[in-house]
Amino acid sequence: MSVGGTGPRAPAPAPIIDFHDVTVAYGRRPVIWNVDLEIDAACLFGIIGPNGAGKSTLLKAALGLVPLVGGRVRFFGQPLGKVRSRVGYVPQRETVDWDFPVNVMDVVLMGTYGRLGWFRRPGSRERLLARESLDRVGLADLASRQIGRLSGGQQQRVFLARALAQQADVYLLDEPMAGVDVRSQEGIFRVLAELRAEGRLVVVVHHDLRTAAEWFDRVALVDMRLVAAGPAAAVLTPDNLRRTYAGHIDVLEELGQAVAKRGRTP
Amino acid sequence: MMPFDIAYNTLVVAAGVAAVGFAAGVVGGLCVLRKRALVGDAAAHATLVGVACAFLITGRRDLPMLLVGALLSAFAGLGVLVLLRRFTRTRDDAATAIVIGVSFGLGIALVSGIPAWGYPDSAGLEQFLLGHTAAITARDALLLTGVACGALAIVALICKEAALVAFDAAFAAAAGWPVALIDYLLVALVATMVVVGLPAVGAVLVTALVVIPPTAARFWTDRVGPMLLLGGAIGLVAALAGVVVSAARPGLATGPLVVLAAAVVFLVSFFAAPSRGWIARRMQQARLSRTWNLAADSSPGPASGGPDC
Amino acid sequence: MPWPGLASQVAGMLTPLVVLAAGCGPATSVVSPAGSAVAGISRPRIVATTTVVADLVRQIGGDRVAVDCLMAPGIDPHSYKPTPRDADRLAGADLVVASGLHLEGKLAGILERLGDRRPVAIAAEALPAEDLIAVGGGLHDPHVWFDPKLWSRCAPVVAEALARVDPAAAETYRERAAAYATRLLELDERLRSRIASIPPDRRVLVTAHDAFRYFGRAYGLEVVGVQGTSTESEAGLADINRLVDLVVNRGLPAVFIETSVSNRNVTALCEGARARGHQVVLGGTLHSDSLGGPGSNAETLEAALTRNVETIVAGLTVATGLEEATGEP
Repeated sequence: MSVGGTGPRAPAPAPIIDFHDVTVAYGRRPVIWNVDLEIDAACLFGIIGPNGAGKSTLLKAALGLVPLVGGRVRFFGQPLGKVRSRVGYVPQRETVDWDFPVNVMDVVLMGTYGRLGWFRRPGSRERLLARESLDRVGLADLASRQIGRLSGGQQQRVFLARALAQQADVYLLDEPMAGVDVRSQEGIFRVLAELRAEGRLVVVVHHDLRTAAEWFDRVALVDMRLVAAGPAAAVLTPDNLRRTYAGHIDVLEELGQAVAKRGRTP
Repeated sequence: MMPFDIAYNTLVVAAGVAAVGFAAGVVGGLCVLRKRALVGDAAAHATLVGVACAFLITGRRDLPMLLVGALLSAFAGLGVLVLLRRFTRTRDDAATAIVIGVSFGLGIALVSGIPAWGYPDSAGLEQFLLGHTAAITARDALLLTGVACGALAIVALICKEAALVAFDAAFAAAAGWPVALIDYLLVALVATMVVVGLPAVGAVLVTALVVIPPTAARFWTDRVGPMLLLGGAIGLVAALAGVVVSAARPGLATGPLVVLAAAVVFLVSFFAAPSRGWIARRMQQARLSRTWNLAADSSPGPASGGPDC
Repeated sequence: MPWPGLASQVAGMLTPLVVLAAGCGPATSVVSPAGSAVAGISRPRIVATTTVVADLVRQIGGDRVAVDCLMAPGIDPHSYKPTPRDADRLAGADLVVASGLHLEGKLAGILERLGDRRPVAIAAEALPAEDLIAVGGGLHDPHVWFDPKLWSRCAPVVAEALARVDPAAAETYRERAAAYATRLLELDERLRSRIASIPPDRRVLVTAHDAFRYFGRAYGLEVVGVQGTSTESEAGLADINRLVDLVVNRGLPAVFIETSVSNRNVTALCEGARARGHQVVLGGTLHSDSLGGPGSNAETLEAALTRNVETIVAGLTVATGLEEATGEP
C-alpha cells in the first residue's frame, strides 16, 4: 500500500522505507503478517494499533533486530546495511538498565559512535554535536547527571538526543511517549516536528489514539497485518478502528468518537 | 631505602598476582557491565576437559601443552555458552550453569579415569584448578604480566564499543555494530586471562578477581572508565594485601587470602561508599523524609512541586 | 520447556560419555603371575590400597595370593578419591589391606563400611602410639614405611590377616613375614651406613611434603617439607620463604621433589635460593607416597628406599664450587 503523493508517471525515486511482504514469527506464532507498506515522503508517520499487535516488531524487523520469516525491508531502495548512517533508532526505555554507570552526556555521545567507527574516541567535534542535541531536547544542564536519576520524560529525551546525534535522515522511535508526562510528551513532539520540517522522515510507534490524530501526518493501523495506511484523517475512521481494535470495544467506542470529533475540526 | 628485606619469592609472587588482580579487575568490569559476571567461572571450569585431553594426547604433564589444552576447551565451553544463548531460548544464568556443570563433570570424569587407565604421571590433574599461588616463579610472573598487559591493551582499544554493547545492545545492533563479535571478543579475553592465571592462582581465585573488585568499584563511581580502573586497582590492592599477610605468618595459603582481601574491600564499599553505600543511602532517606515531613507540616495542601519532569 | 533443543541434545550426548569414563576400569591392576595358581584352589584375592602396602602383601603372600592394588604408581594417596569400580574391587576381595593412620584420607568411609562385610587389615595398627610421630589433633604421621625397622613390625599383622583368610598356608605366611622382617633390618643397616657418608652439616632433607619424618628420625637427618604431612594443604608464602632461608643459611646443595607430588613449590624454592646467590639444584626425585612403576627400578619398598638413599646421598654430598672457593659452609 503506497502512501506517497500523486505525480507524473516518471520513474519514481525509491521510497524512504519500503516494507515488502514482511512476515515475522516467533517459533510458530506469527507476529506480523504480509505487511506491504511504502513510505516515500518525509513526514511524521505513526504506527498505531492495540497492544501485542506487532508494532514494535515491525520496527525491529526493519532494523534487522528480529529475523524476517518472509519479505524484505529497504531504506532508500537499499538494504539497511548500506545506509545505516542514515537511519536513527530510539528503542523502548525498558530495554536498558538505567542503573548503568553512564551520565547523560555519555549516552548522547553514543549516538556519534557510528560515524567514529572502531577504536576512535569521541573528540571535541562529537562533544559539540552532543551538546547541541541536548540543547534541542532541553537537557543541556543535566549533562553530568547519572541516567538513573532522571524522570521518565527526561530519560526519553536523552534517548532522543542520542538519536539526534546520529544525524540521520530517518528516525524510528518505539513508543517514545510511553510513561512520559504530558509536558514532556509535547516537548518531544516539538522536536519531532522540527525534524520533519528539516525534511527527515520520523516513524513513531504510538499507543495513544487521542494524540495520534493530532500529531501525525500519516498513520498505519496495524493488528498483525496492515489494516489501513494513509493520511491520518482518512485512516482513523471508526470503521478502520473497529477492524483494528476488534475486541477492545470500550477503547474503540470512546476513542472513535474523540477522533471523529477532531477530524471534523477545521 | 627499604626498611626491611623483601624476600625474592614474595616479590615475584606479588608481581604475578598483582598483574592478574589488576587485569582481572578491569576485564571483569566489562563482564559485570554486560551482566555476564560468571563467564570467568564457566571458563575456569571448562578448562579441566582440555587439560585432561592434552595429557591424554601428549602423555606427559608438560605445562605449556596443558595450558594450550585448557585454552582450547575454555574457548569451546564459552562457544557452547554463546550458542546456547543465541539459538535456544535458554537464559544467561541457566546456560552458564549448564556449561559449568557439564564441562566440569566431563572434566572430572576424565581426570579421575586417567589414573585408573594406567598413566602413572597423571595423578592430581584436577589440582591444576587449585593453583599454587605461593609457588609462582619469575617465568610465571613474566607470563602473567605479559598477558595482563595484552588484555589491558585490548580493553583500552574496544572500551567504548564494549560499553555501548553492554548498555544498549539493541541500539548498537541497529547502528550496525557487530554485537556478537564484540561479545565473543570479551569472552575470549576472559578465557585467556583465566587460563593463564590458572597454574599460578587457580580457578577460584581468578573467578573471584573477575567479579568482586568491579562490583566493589561500582559503589564508588558512576562512570564506566573510573569503574574499570578502580576495579583494577582494587584487584591489585587485594592481591598485594593477600601476599603481604601470607608472607607474614607461616601456614597461610596465599590464594585464599587474596580473595578474602577482595571480599573485605567489597564489604567496606557496600557500607561506606559515599552516595551509593548503604550508610549513605540510609542517611539520604532520613534526610528526605525529614524534609518532606517539614514541608507537609508547613504547607496546607499537598506538597507542591515534585521531582522535575 | 526450560531445557529446549540444543541444550538437551548436548547434555544427552555427553551423559553416556561421562558414565563411560567414570566406569572405565584400570588397565594396570598388578596381579601375581597367573601360571602359579595352586591346582583346584583359587588364590585368595587381596586388594591393597597403596603400592607400598601392596608390596608388603606380595612379599609375605608370595605366589599364594593374587594382589590387586587400588592406586597406580605415582598416585597421591592423601587425595585419592575412590571410584565406583574401586568399591566393587574392594567388595569382591577376600581381604583388604590398608596402610592406616589416615594416609588414605578419602578412603576412610568406604573402608569403615567395608569392615562389616569383609576382612580389612590395617598394616600400621600394630605400632604403639609412642613409636609414632604425632602431628597434632590426635593424629600421627602415616609414612611409617620409611623406617624399615618400624615397617618390619607391620609384617606380622599382614601375615596374621592372610592366615585367617587362607589357614592352610598360615605357617608359610608367618615364616615369610619373619624372613621379610629380617631383610628389612638388613636393609636398615645398609641404608644407615650409606647415610653416614653425608657430611654432618649437610644432613638436611628438603622435600615437597613432610613424608620423611620417620626416615629422618631413623637415620639422623633433619627433614623439612614445603607442604605439611598431607598434600591437601596449600603452601603459603611464609613457608616457602622460611625454607629459602634454611637452604641458604645451611648451604644445602640440593633439594628433592617427589614422584606423587607437584614439584612447583620446590622449584620456586630453588629459584628463591638462587636469587640470593646460592647454588642449589633439584637433587632428584624421591619415591614418597608411592613406589615406582614397571621399569623404574623401584617397584618394591627395598628397591625404592635404596634408590631414595642413593639419590639423597648423591645430592647432598656433591661439592659446590662456591663452597670451596669461599670456604663458607
